[in-house]
Amino acid sequence: MKKRLLGVIDATTYAEDLKDLTLHRSVAAIPFGGRYRLIDFILSNMVNSGIESVGIFPKYPFRSLMDHLGSGKNWDLNRKRDGLFFFPFSSDDKPNFGMNSFEHFAANIDFLNRSTQEYCLISDANTIFNMDFNPLLEWHMEQGCDISEVRRDGAPLNIFLVKTSLLLELIDSRDKTGNYCMRDVVTDIDSPYQVCYYPYEGFAVTVDSIDQYYFASMEILKPTIWGQLFLKERAILTKVKDEPPTHYSKSASVHNSMIANGASIEGIVENSIIARGVKIAKGAIVRNSIIMQKTQIGENSILDHVIVDKDVKVESGITLIGTKDAPKILQKGSIIKGACVNS
Amino acid sequence: MQKKKIVAMLLAGGQGSRLNSLTKDLAKPAVPFGGKYRIIDFPLSNCTNSGINTVGVLTQYQPLILNSYIGIGSAWDLDRKDGGVTVLPPYAASTEMKWYTGTASAIYQNLNYLHQYNPEYVLILSGDHIYKMNYELMLDHHIEKGADVTISVIPVPWEEANRFGILNTDEELRVIEFDEKPKEPKSNLASMGIYIFNWKVLEEYLEVDNDNSGSSHDFGKDILPLMLKDQKNLFAYPFKGYWKDVGTVQSLWEANMDLLDSSSELNLLDQSWRIYSVNPNQPPQYISKDATLTDSLVNEGCTIEGTVTRTVVFQGVSIERESVVTESVIMPDAVIGKGCIIEKAIISSGIKVPDGLVIRPKNNGEILLVSKETLEEMAIH
Repeated sequence: MKKRLLGVIDATTYAEDLKDLTLHRSVAAIPFGGRYRLIDFILSNMVNSGIESVGIFPKYPFRSLMDHLGSGKNWDLNRKRDGLFFFPFSSDDKPNFGMNSFEHFAANIDFLNRSTQEYCLISDANTIFNMDFNPLLEWHMEQGCDISEVRRDGAPLNIFLVKTSLLLELIDSRDKTGNYCMRDVVTDIDSPYQVCYYPYEGFAVTVDSIDQYYFASMEILKPTIWGQLFLKERAILTKVKDEPPTHYSKSASVHNSMIANGASIEGIVENSIIARGVKIAKGAIVRNSIIMQKTQIGENSILDHVIVDKDVKVESGITLIGTKDAPKILQKGSIIKGACVNS
Repeated sequence: MQKKKIVAMLLAGGQGSRLNSLTKDLAKPAVPFGGKYRIIDFPLSNCTNSGINTVGVLTQYQPLILNSYIGIGSAWDLDRKDGGVTVLPPYAASTEMKWYTGTASAIYQNLNYLHQYNPEYVLILSGDHIYKMNYELMLDHHIEKGADVTISVIPVPWEEANRFGILNTDEELRVIEFDEKPKEPKSNLASMGIYIFNWKVLEEYLEVDNDNSGSSHDFGKDILPLMLKDQKNLFAYPFKGYWKDVGTVQSLWEANMDLLDSSSELNLLDQSWRIYSVNPNQPPQYISKDATLTDSLVNEGCTIEGTVTRTVVFQGVSIERESVVTESVIMPDAVIGKGCIIEKAIISSGIKVPDGLVIRPKNNGEILLVSKETLEEMAIH
């Protein structure tokens, strides 16, 4: 299976409903699961499937995504041959929405022209799953399809497998056909290509709303789900941080939660996801919540159904209550002072 | 090659036989520590944090895991174009096989490594201690005193002073006497086994020592006493802070327990002096709904379902339902089955403690080291 697949990650997805989490970052860079960003799942799946060349087509703002990916070293993609390629769009007249996918690919067509891989896997960057693409490639070749699309329970996961030569053709004819992304191609009734649907049965959630984000986060607290997602032999890789182990104090009480390294827990944590470097002070209660990197929760504060972005400081004695259907969101870097009680 | 101001030589060949089964297949500097680290992470991180980017690591005893752990040094930012980390194993020369017979012989046999950098100073370190130290401040002290060699020292309890190399100094910190394990110590300043030499002086004394067939080729026993006799400038550098020799099962356990004290001077959360290590890149730890977890350190990839108190848990460990683990150290990838009781123990890497087993020292103050062999013996009895 060596070097037969090229990876293309279309990280341009924008979801209005996720805007509270994407003020400073793209959807692909949204933190998830205490230590990951959404892009880690597709990128790790590609690497774990033996893909050694991955092109990432990001959307503005991509600073945090670039910082996260670096040279690709954490995914073993800092290679002399192939490896990780990052293609920010080169047009500055469409800063908000960028170009459509094929236009974006066309602007960097050398990447595809120069690749030696016969097949190409094209995927969005916001699905949480752990999938081996080798069986998909085998299946695709056996079926003799032009385009294979991965679906779960009939719903598309925005993952497509095509011959690299066909992708070049699709990009080339985009203005003629009016098809500007893979989704356009597979939904075009005039398309001459044979499209097959590959059923994927494992856990997969595409994060395109706060609802889905919160749902996926709570799902991974179920041992049967994290058992499917975090496999030792196909590990989800991310940027490592050199954080020390997490410290639980004498007053800590933690139940049904995932906690990343470098955290310091002195309060009560239940049904929650706590990211790297988070501090939860004595007497604080965090329930059904997602606390992102380096956030501090002050003494005797109570958080229930809250999504707290990075670097937030919740001062002492503050109560913040959201609901399952409408979790409260605290934006990156905010400071929550006493005046906000029950707001 | 660019001339280097200072090059570090890290002696990592030690067997650490007092750590018993922990060092059966592992050099002492590679012994796991603190839920995430190996002992050698401390001197290597100290080098990086002190701005020393050229480090020779001398390995000899059971080097496989240690060598692959060090790799090209990228975990400590020591993968450099010029310098960086170099693993220096003993080698066969045209005339003889050259095993490292003592600390000084190990450096002597790698004089060529030092020649290629031709540094002004050489820092000698050992891979046996847990501490955070800025070697740059020690170098400043060395230069200020106009020393030929500076020996880092720390006060130890008087009753333990006879276990160490003890230095007697004058008010200016000039070393006037060096007693290796004295019966009646005149001072409680113990050598930490950290030396800064002027390179030319080191070279000269290593040559002299090598020609002396009566020498045990050891810095503490041979080189330093000879330099003192020759009235060279030996100075002490008093170190303040946490420093612990983790050469025994007891002291290794104690040093792990020290980390649970949030006022520990060995603050691992300190961003300005990070202790780097090879990150396992495992998922966050999962604490189940039935777990009780207090006063402990837990690393990535663990699953905690039992009751855990005053315990250091390394990556990839599972502690299953109804087990009670107290005052223990659980090394990487060990599995504690259901309903076990574990007290004051060090559980070795990768072993599976069967359901319902009770591990508890018979004598007060004893720490049990549990290896695969221990478990097999327990199964027989």
